Amino acid sequence: MMRGVSKRIGSIKFSTLSPDEVRKMSATKVITADTYDDDGFPIDMGLMDPHLGVIEPGLRCKTCGNKVDECPGHFGHIDLAMPVIHVGLVKEIKKLLQSTCKTCGHLLMTKEEAQRKAQEWADMDDLGGDAIDYRLLAKGTAKDASKNTICPYCGQEQGKITLDKPTTFREDGHKLTPKEVRERLERIPDEDLPPLGIDPNSCRPEWMVLTALAVPPVTVRPSITLESGDRSEDDLTHKLVDVLRINQRLRENRDAGAPQLIVEDLWELLQYHVTTYFDNQTSGIPPARHRSGRPLKTLVQRLKGKEGRFRSNLSGKRVNFSARTVISPDPSLSINEVGVPEEAARELTVPVHVTKSNLEFLRNMVKGGANPPRVDDRYVPGVNYVIRSDGRRMKVTDRNAESIAEGLEVGYIVERHLMDKDVVLFNRQPSLHRMSMMAHTVRVMPWKTFRFNLCVCPPYNADFDGDEMNLHVLQSDEARAEAMILMRVQEHILSPRFGGPVIGAIHDHITGTFLLTHMNPRFDKKETLSILSKVKHDELPAPVVVDGKEYWTGHQLFSLVLPEDFHITFKASICRNCAVCKKEDCDLDAYVKIRKGKLITGTIDEKAIGSFKGKILDKITRDYGADASREFLDNVTKLAIGAIMVHGFTTGIDDEDIPEEASIQIKEVLTDAVRRVSEFVQAYREGILEQLPGRSLDETLEVEVMKVLGRARDEAGQIAGRHLGMENSAVIMARSGARGSMLNLSQMAGCIGQQAVRGERLSRGYWNRTLPHFKKGDLGAEAKGFVQNSYKSGLTPTEFFFHSMGGREGLVDTAVRTSRSGYMQRRLISALEDLKLKQDGTVRNTADIIVQLRYGEDGVDPCRSVQGDAVDVDDILSEVLGEDAEALARIEEKKLSGYATIEKDLMETMEEEEAEEPEYDAGGGGGDD
Amino acid sequence: MARKDTFNALLRRNIEAAIADKLLQGYNSISDIASASPADLMSLGLSEDQAADTLNKLGKTKKESGSKKAAKKEQAAEPAKKVEFHRVVKAKPVTEIEAKLNDMLDDLGLELPRRVVVTIGERLEGADIPEVKIREILKRASEKYELHKMDANESAGILAAQSIGEPGTQMTMRTFHYAGVAEINVTLGLPRLIEIVDARRVPSTPMMTVYIRPEFRESVEEVRRVASRIEKTTLLDIADIETDIVNMKVIVHPDTSKMDQKGITPEQIVERLNKDRRLRGQVKLEEDAEDKARQYIVVTSDEPSFKKLQGIVQATRDAVIQGLDGIERAILRRQPNGEYVIYTAGSNLRDVLAEEKVDRTRTTTNSIQEIYDVLGVEAARNSIIHEASRTLEEQGLTVDIRHIMLVADLMTNDGDVKAIGRHGISGRKSSVLARAAFEITATHLLHAALTGETDDLDGVAENIIVGQPVTLGTGAVNLVYEPKKRPKEANQ
Repeated sequence: MMRGVSKRIGSIKFSTLSPDEVRKMSATKVITADTYDDDGFPIDMGLMDPHLGVIEPGLRCKTCGNKVDECPGHFGHIDLAMPVIHVGLVKEIKKLLQSTCKTCGHLLMTKEEAQRKAQEWADMDDLGGDAIDYRLLAKGTAKDASKNTICPYCGQEQGKITLDKPTTFREDGHKLTPKEVRERLERIPDEDLPPLGIDPNSCRPEWMVLTALAVPPVTVRPSITLESGDRSEDDLTHKLVDVLRINQRLRENRDAGAPQLIVEDLWELLQYHVTTYFDNQTSGIPPARHRSGRPLKTLVQRLKGKEGRFRSNLSGKRVNFSARTVISPDPSLSINEVGVPEEAARELTVPVHVTKSNLEFLRNMVKGGANPPRVDDRYVPGVNYVIRSDGRRMKVTDRNAESIAEGLEVGYIVERHLMDKDVVLFNRQPSLHRMSMMAHTVRVMPWKTFRFNLCVCPPYNADFDGDEMNLHVLQSDEARAEAMILMRVQEHILSPRFGGPVIGAIHDHITGTFLLTHMNPRFDKKETLSILSKVKHDELPAPVVVDGKEYWTGHQLFSLVLPEDFHITFKASICRNCAVCKKEDCDLDAYVKIRKGKLITGTIDEKAIGSFKGKILDKITRDYGADASREFLDNVTKLAIGAIMVHGFTTGIDDEDIPEEASIQIKEVLTDAVRRVSEFVQAYREGILEQLPGRSLDETLEVEVMKVLGRARDEAGQIAGRHLGMENSAVIMARSGARGSMLNLSQMAGCIGQQAVRGERLSRGYWNRTLPHFKKGDLGAEAKGFVQNSYKSGLTPTEFFFHSMGGREGLVDTAVRTSRSGYMQRRLISALEDLKLKQDGTVRNTADIIVQLRYGEDGVDPCRSVQGDAVDVDDILSEVLGEDAEALARIEEKKLSGYATIEKDLMETMEEEEAEEPEYDAGGGGGDD
Repeated sequence: MARKDTFNALLRRNIEAAIADKLLQGYNSISDIASASPADLMSLGLSEDQAADTLNKLGKTKKESGSKKAAKKEQAAEPAKKVEFHRVVKAKPVTEIEAKLNDMLDDLGLELPRRVVVTIGERLEGADIPEVKIREILKRASEKYELHKMDANESAGILAAQSIGEPGTQMTMRTFHYAGVAEINVTLGLPRLIEIVDARRVPSTPMMTVYIRPEFRESVEEVRRVASRIEKTTLLDIADIETDIVNMKVIVHPDTSKMDQKGITPEQIVERLNKDRRLRGQVKLEEDAEDKARQYIVVTSDEPSFKKLQGIVQATRDAVIQGLDGIERAILRRQPNGEYVIYTAGSNLRDVLAEEKVDRTRTTTNSIQEIYDVLGVEAARNSIIHEASRTLEEQGLTVDIRHIMLVADLMTNDGDVKAIGRHGISGRKSSVLARAAFEITATHLLHAALTGETDDLDGVAENIIVGQPVTLGTGAVNLVYEPKKRPKEANQ
């Protein structure tokens, strides 16, 4: 095992292999197209020659003498009978042929021109250019040179070189054989290459026309033995067999003096095979196929794309010491913890170095074997492997546990099972931001799911409808230290995206604190103790005594979890933004005031402790640190659960019950709206509809109709809402921000409203109508997707169909969006990944180019910023000036909306805000088109 | 070919063939020769007289031919002397209290961002607070500011990319009407954000907000006049066009009310139409025989060909009578402060800014490239920040402006607007491996082999590929702990 400081690769240089090099590094020449003989042994000088490496266990490599996994494999080579063009380089070859002389090989430029170009190159080196700049410069040079039709050196007139895709060159229409091409490239002198963007030390142009083909080691193209005993060769081997076979025939024919035509045909065939060996997706030629018809995966295909070597095997790797299972919630866990099932814990191991001080402890553990019995019904970690000082790995079984334990020495490594307090990384895909992978401490638990506190759902964007998550066990002390300091959940409560909390209460937790604090209810001793039973607190506050009975108020109980000198004022989610704020005397109990750690007035809801919006959470994290914040969240979780359990909370379809007269009222509103729509349609038909400026007549009708129907939906919702009071569970959830919105409620109880596709009323389907149930050209409300019913009353068949149309758009939208935004993020990451903040406060990329002189113009970490501001001025003012500051401070409501807040309902109609009437429209008329 | 052309061109400029031949040995184009000094020419074997003469001829011919470029240059050169450059300071002037605070900060040797100073100033304005307390406030603010600074070696780039990319999944795909101007469609949500980072040449829905200079902005009439001046108006918009096949002519009946609205006279139309290549000299204004007040325009065909007539109809129809290229529609809107603002569908910043009554300091477009072309990179950078944050905000997503600033700064880092993607920043990375891992793998690798590129493994992607720690965060520092041997062990 490697210890201490490891070596770093300084740089990697790329260059082209010359035929000489190919032959020099070759372990064997490959001449036979056959792979194995009848006995199943690899044939010498065949494609599976044992000199090329070993893939079968037990055998030794004939070149280096190592076994499987030790021998890296060795290259072989094929001598091509006739030269063949490398497909990947045809464009370069064309460039070279066009810009150099056909006879003397010089660059087609006068000395002065060349000098000027050289100056351009020097300037570029001076001023710095990137890959694209250099490429364009080389291209420009080639283009300028190819304009000269007469060689300035030898006066030879140049032919016109064209490329017949993929690999045939023509000069003035005559075919150039690869041999001729190679001869021309050979003539280009070294000093003319740099202006064309080629480094003569790394690549001589004639090497672009292959005479020897490197054969990759067998380890690169292992053959698989099927159960039937048949061998199945790799795609590359298949392709090489083709190459060898044709190469052989070509050589024979050529040597036998076969007619030119036949030789040329074979030559072209060889070119085809070599081309597809490199890239089987070359345009212009049919891809080489497997017997089954599947296109072969050759060299380029192996590297390219998402499943290619680069993105799939080099930029990301498969790992050990990881687990994946379904997740479920557990409010009794701290936000820093993760519950790991015992079964997983026994598979996942942590390496522990045996030292003098832990020898006895580990010896005991090893004695227990790989599956120690439970003690007092508690999980006991065991040991899976012990690694000796010489690197031998011993599996611990029940049988040898005792003896291995005896033999345990300092310097051994024990791979013990996961146990409580171990540090692991926990992750849910898609990993869109850094909070998608955080460090948790382990709690080994029974059953089979991973469990964590609900407050951690938002950063992972997790729910429990079958989501699975991954867990990785850290294997080194350095990794564990870094994870604990940088990646622990509590360090990520504030999001770097907007400087507010991403970890916070959701759903029932918010309902719970709402029930606990709204209008400051009273709880008797039994209830109080039940609520507080899981909450960490010091002492019960002094009870309120009413009629000789002791009561505790919700505010008192909530104050127990607040830090002692906590101080804040804000408006809760339930605030209706009255014109004149009554502050402490708010009718809705929406003015939250906390002084010295005591909640004085107000309701604790989403604005206080919710993820994305929680003000109390935000302030505690900022002022008291991550530890205090973690404790607060853990306590709030338990307090909220306690409160909601004492109160009892449920929602059902009867929450949307509205009285008879309300239904009648809604019905009236809707019929009236439908009638008004038909009036508009009537007016439109008669041509008396007043055209809106800047709109065509059709558009005017649509706008008016949408307006009428939108208003009708809102009105229906309001009528329904009037009968749904604050005691209604669904309303509590919507108002407190726990779940759902008033819009959802009004759609359930009142009216669903107009369905829309692309922001317009439904119109497609049959000719001139949406469904055959309507007359052609019907523009009325029902015919174009207005749903009068509510979710509760149920939809008519046509309404249901319209509703599905709207729903489908939503689904398509989501599907398209995920892929588009995923690609955008990949591009953003790829462009920005190299930027970092340097010691001097500048932001630079790895090439040391300054991108910003000061990060974000003030150097402030968005994560530590106060919702974007560098410093919380109000806070400082109140610190320094005390209560005087109240007058100065402005409780500005900063718009702070995170995700999930844009529950812009897909069924929602266009909310046409009553914009001011358009004064003037320069677009004269417009006219119906 | 080029050589031959030059040769002929020289002959046309009265230069002897022999001299021209000599000149061409050294130069490729006339402009090259003209810019050379007599001594240069003499080195090519010309006598002094010949050289001077040649240059004279070339110089002269240049002026005579009235090459537009040269003429323009000279024109531009003259007033250029008069142009006074003054720095446009857009920042608010430092108020009294801010100045006081700044002095105190200097005094204390502390530093605070301007924004914080402004906020403190706002809060303290008018309040009677002893100086000691103010100093205390500044001290504390500065303390907090230092604490809130980002740590060195933080991967600011990844932070920004994630912060902008992550909310992308929550955005809508749909195009919405622009809030406030229902008539103009504007791309919003994810497609717009992608458009911005792509640095597209033309946005899918170009749009301008044209402000009017303070002295006119509250007059509907004035603003309306500007609006109709910039809005593209074709003849079809203001007149009915009729084809008289018998007499082989096209008759245009102007709609007087529409024309009045736009302030166009029939004479203007005739003038405009006569400028069209296809209609030149064929347009006449005629009066109605019965009603003298009614005028109509007649376009006659000069040859009796239906094909020609058809061409004339087309040309008449499409003739642009008024307005700027690209401005499809202009709509007036009254702002809450009483001023009128013109919103346009389509964008043409350069020409709109040239309009007299337009407030050049505030008028803007949503086309970032256009802002870059007209106003430069700094403006383009601001535009990227503005457009991106507006798009995100409109969707109800909060993203710290520092992230957007970083993206904008990177996109405009080397003087022009570069896209985020393989044709822009990612394709220009210094590392071969990083480029290969992003897109178009094979091409990058092959090209690297030809140019003999060296990958210095400085970046993130390439270090991950070779399997070593990256150079960000904790990977950027090297710490080696060398435990001191305890004396006891050392003895052993």
